[in-house]
Amino acid sequence: MLRTPGMFDPFFVWIESTALNRWLVESTSVFAFPMVLAVHTIGLALLVGLNAALDFRILGVAPHIPVAEFRRFLPVMWAGFRLNAASGVLLLIAYPTKALTNPVFYLKLGLIGVATAILLAVRRRVLAEQIPAPQAGRVKLLAVASLVCWAGAIVAGRLLAYTYNRLTAAGGFE
Amino acid sequence: MANFQHWLEQTLRGADTVAALMQTQWAWPIAESVHFIGLTLLFGSIAAWDLRLLGIVKGVPIAAFHRLVPLSVLGFTLNAATGSMFLMTFPDQYIYNPAFHLKVLFLGLAGANVLLFYATTYRRVDVPGARDSIPIGARVAGVTSLVCWMAVIIFGRLITFYRPNGCTGDEAITFLARCFP
Repeated sequence: MLRTPGMFDPFFVWIESTALNRWLVESTSVFAFPMVLAVHTIGLALLVGLNAALDFRILGVAPHIPVAEFRRFLPVMWAGFRLNAASGVLLLIAYPTKALTNPVFYLKLGLIGVATAILLAVRRRVLAEQIPAPQAGRVKLLAVASLVCWAGAIVAGRLLAYTYNRLTAAGGFE
Repeated sequence: MANFQHWLEQTLRGADTVAALMQTQWAWPIAESVHFIGLTLLFGSIAAWDLRLLGIVKGVPIAAFHRLVPLSVLGFTLNAATGSMFLMTFPDQYIYNPAFHLKVLFLGLAGANVLLFYATTYRRVDVPGARDSIPIGARVAGVTSLVCWMAVIIFGRLITFYRPNGCTGDEAITFLARCFP
């Protein structure tokens, strides 16, 4: 999958020549690439952290908090999501070849997609103002799947630093 | 301070079994992954509690959120364990690193904030009638906690960009390639 120089290389070369890419990669300012990474981790903590708390609540931890009350955390979780979509795009602009030629990157995106879909399904089932008929078993299964997908996305994200095939399109194989 | 740093570095260097384990293939990335998973468990459970102190989810007694503490303890334990393993593998890379110093500082502040909150304000919010009015002390504790833990995350993420001499390289893979013998 895009391992060798191929049809997308001109696109990578173009991104790697943009001013935004140059700034992200070459700036020695802590507010360039390092802070984008730090923000990406804050967004992760907000979104996945609160989603994990919700999942564990569904599985029986802290039973005196009504599950539906977790809907008040949804705006914070979506803020984390938006923060990471934005910082993620910046990271992608910084190293497009590195991410897009690595199958693990697509695994990470897939896991995030599934985890987000699960959150929407959980919201429909237990976070609505009007809670539909109880379906405790199904929701617990969703909570477990959510934890597994988020953990997988985190591991995949971390492995991006170790599993890439090419760093840049121009620089070839570092 | 320099004496203490030197002593700490030499002491941690004694943990050569851990260092050897961490230098096997994939050990470092796996430990990092666990560290990030622990971070989400710790931050998520604490943030839920902090947001309750700030008045979100007012209808639920604060004591109910107290039962999330096992998640915080689990996350903290995972991260203390993996964090110690990083530290024991390359003590100098952390002990002389300004980002690591700030991370430890904010860890300490977050801890002091928890102790101060339990010693002073907790008694006043952990009563049935305290649902609607939140004492200013509780709000301050909530904001302080959120700020401190976010600072811990940010400075933790910045550690790799402030490595002292010897293991330069802002990405884990280059850092490890240069650091591992």
